[in-house]
Amino acid sequence: MQEALLEARAVRRRYSLGETEVVALAGVDIAIAAGERVAIAGPSGSGKSTLLHLLGALDRPDEGSVTIEGRDLAKLSENELTLLRRRRLGFVFQSFHLVPVLTALENVEYPLWIDDVPAAERHERARAMLEAVGLAHRVDHLPDKLSGGERQRVAIARALVHRPAAVIADEPTGNLDSANGNAIFDLLLAMRRDLGTAIVFATHDPALMARAARRVELRDGRIVADTARSGVAN
Amino acid sequence: MKFATFALRNLRRNRRRSAISLGIIAAGTVGLLLTVGFIRFSFDGLREAMIHGGLGHLEIASAAAVESRGEAALDRSVQQGIENWESVRAKVESLPQVVAVEANLQVMGMAQKPGGDSVSFVGVGVEPERERRMGFETRLRDGKGLADGAPPEGEDEAVLALGLAATLGVKPGDTITLLSASPDGMLNALDVRVAGLVTTGVQELDSRYLKLHLASAQRLLATDRISNLLVGLESTAATAAARERTVAALAGRTPALAVTSWEKRAAFYGQVRNLYLGIFWFLGAIVFVLVVLATSNTLIMTVMERVREIGTLRAIGTAPGQVAAMVLWEAFWLGVLGAIAGDVLGGLAIAGINALHLRMPPPPGAVDPIDLQLAFVPEAFLAIVAVMAVVLLVAAVAPVVRATRISVVEALRHV
Repeated sequence: MQEALLEARAVRRRYSLGETEVVALAGVDIAIAAGERVAIAGPSGSGKSTLLHLLGALDRPDEGSVTIEGRDLAKLSENELTLLRRRRLGFVFQSFHLVPVLTALENVEYPLWIDDVPAAERHERARAMLEAVGLAHRVDHLPDKLSGGERQRVAIARALVHRPAAVIADEPTGNLDSANGNAIFDLLLAMRRDLGTAIVFATHDPALMARAARRVELRDGRIVADTARSGVAN
Repeated sequence: MKFATFALRNLRRNRRRSAISLGIIAAGTVGLLLTVGFIRFSFDGLREAMIHGGLGHLEIASAAAVESRGEAALDRSVQQGIENWESVRAKVESLPQVVAVEANLQVMGMAQKPGGDSVSFVGVGVEPERERRMGFETRLRDGKGLADGAPPEGEDEAVLALGLAATLGVKPGDTITLLSASPDGMLNALDVRVAGLVTTGVQELDSRYLKLHLASAQRLLATDRISNLLVGLESTAATAAARERTVAALAGRTPALAVTSWEKRAAFYGQVRNLYLGIFWFLGAIVFVLVVLATSNTLIMTVMERVREIGTLRAIGTAPGQVAAMVLWEAFWLGVLGAIAGDVLGGLAIAGINALHLRMPPPPGAVDPIDLQLAFVPEAFLAIVAVMAVVLLVAAVAPVVRATRISVVEALRHV
C-alpha cells in the first residue's frame, strides 16, 4: 500500500465556545495518499474545516495524531510547522485571502519570497504560474482591481507556485458563481494533475463533490462515509 | 521586495491612521526641537553675556592667587597680583585668535558723596579701549563711558552701576570720594567724577559696582600691579586651544601664572545649564511617553484590523519572526517619517518664531528683557530622527507580541 501523505489517527478536537465545550472532531481516522483528490463533505459544523486545519498543520489535535509525510505534528516545533506549511503545503481559502498591498505577481511570489528563493527565480516561477491560470495580463494589478474569479486564480497560483505535496482548499468556490466556480475548479484540478499534487477540499457544492475521486463525509465530528468513486478520473 | 517596502505599503494603505500617527510623532518632534532651540539659545546667550560682561574667555592670574582662592573666584587680591605684566600681555596678544588682553585691577572700599553716607563698593580698573575690542559690553544708562586714555592725575572718572548711584544719590557730573586700602595696608582716597551710569545686567551687583580706568585704580591703590589679565578671543569655540597655547607661552615664568578658562569661573552658568538640562530631559521623557502610548495604541489597532491577513500569512508559511519584522518596520517608518516631518515643521516654526522677535522677560539674574531667537541645532534635528525610530520600536513591543501570538486557526475564522 502507498504510504500516506497526510494521515489522521483517532483525532479528537474540542473548542470552547464561551462556557460550552464543542466537540469538532470526535475520533477521526483518515489517510490521504500523494496525488489523491479528496472531497470532504458534510453539513455546517460537521468538522470539515477543523479536519482541514489539522491536515494542513495549522492546528494540533487534543488527542490522536496527525502526520504529514510521516512527520508527527505533535513532535514538531512552531517553526518546524511553519516550514512544513511553507514548503510542503498550499492553501486556498473561500475568501481568497490575498495580501491587499501586494500585486498579483507579488502575492504569487510570496511563498518563495519568505523562503529566500532568489529574486530572478521567483519572478520567473510566479509569472509562469500566473500565465498558467490565465492572468499573465494582470500581474501588476492589486487584488482590489481583480474580479472574484481572478482573485481565486491568483490564490491557486500562490498555493501551487512552490510545488507543494498537497493543497488544502476550504470551500474554494464558495464565493464564486457557478460558472466561475466550475472554471476555477477545472483549473485547480488541471494544475494538480500537472504537478502531481494531492488536493483535499471541503465543499457544500454537490457538483464539485461529484468530481472528486474520493468522498469523505463528516457528521457530528465523525466520518460517516469514505467512498472511492469509480469512473471518476483521478 | 523587502519587509521594509511591505511595511511602507501597509502604512500607505491605512493613510488616515498613519497620518494621525505621523502627526503625533511630528508634533512631539516639533515640541522637542523648540525646547532644544530655546535651551541652546538660553545657554549661548548666558555664556556670551558672562564672557563679554567681564569674564573674558581666559583669565591669567598669579598661580598663588588662584591657589589661595580657587579657579572660580571672581576677585583676585592685589597682594597676589601680577607685576611686570606688560610683557606677559605682549606675548599673549601675539598668539593666534587672541583679539586683545586687558589688564584688570580689582578694588574694594567705601564710596562717599561729599556730605553724604558711605557705601561699600566693589570696583574694577579697566582699559576701555581694549574692553571695546574684546566686545565687552558697557550698558550705559546715563552720561558717558570712560575715556580710552589714562586720565591725568586729578581728573579721574568712574562709571557707577545704577543701584550704587541711587544709594549714594549721585548723577553724572557729580564727584565722589573712593576710599580703599593699598597693598601695604595704607588707607588711600581718590576723588573721581561720575562720568556715567551703567548696569551690569545683574541686579545684586548693580547695588555695589563701579568701574574706573586702570590708571585711576592703580592710583587709588598706590600700586603698579594688576589683579589679572583677561584674554578676549575671536570665538568662544577657540577657548580650549587658545588656553593650551597661552599656557605653553607662559610656561617657566616666575612667579608662575595660572590660565583659567571662562567655564571654570562661570559657576552660575554651570548651574543654569544643569537646571535647563534637567527640565529638558523631564519634558523629553513626557513627550516620549505620550508618543509611545499614542502610537502603540495605533499599532495595536493596525494589528487587530489585520488579524485575518496575519493568519493567512502565517498559514502559508510566514514565521512569527517575519510577522514581527513587518510590524517593527511599520513602527520604524512611522518614527523616521514622523520625525522628518517634525524636523521640517520644527525648522519652519523656529524660523517663524524668530521672525516675530518676541521679547522675553529677563533670564535669571539679568535685568534686561531679551529678544527670543531660538537656536537651530543641526545635531538635534538628526538625533531626534534616531530617537523617534527607537521610541516607535519601543511602542511596537506590545503590538508585535499581539501579532506573533495570533492563533492561525482563530485568525482565519476572524471576520
